[in-house]
Amino acid sequence: MTKFFQVYWTFAANQIKSNFVYKGRFYLFIIRKFLGMFIYYYLWMAIYASSPSGQLGGFTRSEMILYVFLSYTIADIVMIGISSEIGKDVLDGSVAMNLVKPINYRLYLTSKALGVMIYRIIVPSVFIWAGLEIYKVTALGMAVSSPSQIGLALISILLSFFIYVFFDYCFGMLAFVTTYIFGMTIIKNAALNLLTGRLIPISFFPAVVQEIFSFLPFTAMTYVPVMIWMGKYSGTEALLQLGKQAIWVVLLYLLGSLLWKKIEKRLVILGG
Amino acid sequence: MKKISRYMRLYRIFAVQYMKTVMQSKVDFFIGLGGFLISQAAGLAFLYLVFQQIPTMKEWTLEQLLFIYGFAQIPRGIDHLLTDNLWMVGWQMVIQGTFDKYMLRPMNLFFQIVCEKIQFDAVGELLIGILFVGRAVAKGVVQVTPLKVLFFFISMIAGSVIYTSVKLVLASIAFWVKDSSPIMTTAYDVADFAKYPVEIYAKPIQIVLMTILPFAFVAYIPSTYFLIDANILKTIAAECGIAVIFWLFSYHLFKKGLTIYESAGS
Repeated sequence: MTKFFQVYWTFAANQIKSNFVYKGRFYLFIIRKFLGMFIYYYLWMAIYASSPSGQLGGFTRSEMILYVFLSYTIADIVMIGISSEIGKDVLDGSVAMNLVKPINYRLYLTSKALGVMIYRIIVPSVFIWAGLEIYKVTALGMAVSSPSQIGLALISILLSFFIYVFFDYCFGMLAFVTTYIFGMTIIKNAALNLLTGRLIPISFFPAVVQEIFSFLPFTAMTYVPVMIWMGKYSGTEALLQLGKQAIWVVLLYLLGSLLWKKIEKRLVILGG
Repeated sequence: MKKISRYMRLYRIFAVQYMKTVMQSKVDFFIGLGGFLISQAAGLAFLYLVFQQIPTMKEWTLEQLLFIYGFAQIPRGIDHLLTDNLWMVGWQMVIQGTFDKYMLRPMNLFFQIVCEKIQFDAVGELLIGILFVGRAVAKGVVQVTPLKVLFFFISMIAGSVIYTSVKLVLASIAFWVKDSSPIMTTAYDVADFAKYPVEIYAKPIQIVLMTILPFAFVAYIPSTYFLIDANILKTIAAECGIAVIFWLFSYHLFKKGLTIYESAGS
């Protein structure tokens, strides 16, 4: 068991290190994250300024500020793509090497994603969260999030991470079908932006659509942890949602195994 | 004149060659098209859902915002269609030394880069743009007069030139720093601000959008001329002025970058 962790932790640790190496990229990366958040921050401020009731989709103006920043940061640490790497490996045939090595390909990719996640928690999500809690208390006059709220949210974030990575593994299997994984990724990201609630809270959708969404894994990716953090899901509701997330982790894991088994059989790689 | 006809002929030859490579994989074309269509649809779904809750945003109606949104997509699409290969300069060509091949041919370098690729993914942006501008015309959100039609086309061209110029500046930075793709993606994120009225943003962001990365002049500012008959000098004329200045600057920078380009060796 310790051997197992030693082996796979190395992949994660390497990712953390290599992400810290490129200083210029590092700062630009942070700027890009802030840009995205601020577009929606200002957009929502303009929208609330024009709203007669001051409450939209069950969110007050202050709550929406929290929502924008939380959903952005959480999506950022949860949605770490592994499909592009699968695409690359399939295209240049190096996926064959990974079949020969005594490691599990999916676990290898998951560990690498975990490394990226840890890196992104440190830069800059955790600082944004801290700033957000301070802002919340001082400027917005709301109560600070309770430790149990944050604790549950962190568990939920971890589950979301596995949901997304296992989902993206299944998605990556498309690389065996088409070589244009870049185009597929654009489709995926656009759809997820809407389906996960990152663009607009799920509560803005018509009731029927919300009902459909509750049977899909996408809301479990970012919406659930954000709602738990904000205290919108309390007590049993929060636990129920966590249970649902856990089910999705298992289901998507099994789906990934199934797809891989099917595809492994038809995999043909040229010479070497 | 002879020079122009020569380049026109060359462009046709390059385009035909590129077409052949596209034809190899028609699925890719539809995936690319679908990708950009769905991205646009997500942005539009956002506006629709929000306007279920509010009547107007800062005195802009949904119909007007949809016009601005569509209007913004057309120059972006034109630029995307024709000059997408500039990304490769910033991202790979300089650092890998593959830029060499252009230096060896007796043709204008910028022309060579641009004509090598026609990015059909952009059709998604163009379709959405034309659809929503057309819709605004049909719904009477904008009035159609011969003068406005003329200025519409001028504005589209000037807007595309602004996009291309900004892209050329950023791609040229690669001559100094080898890989400018992170800067390019950042700038393109900024372009997303321009889909909405600029006045909703804080002053510093507004200033950036009007000076260093003048995306406000591509969409929002010229569209006010069509929507609310804003002063033409402050909208379309300003857009054209910015386009000319940025083009001259970017081309100059590109030329300068070429003088310090060094191959990757080996």
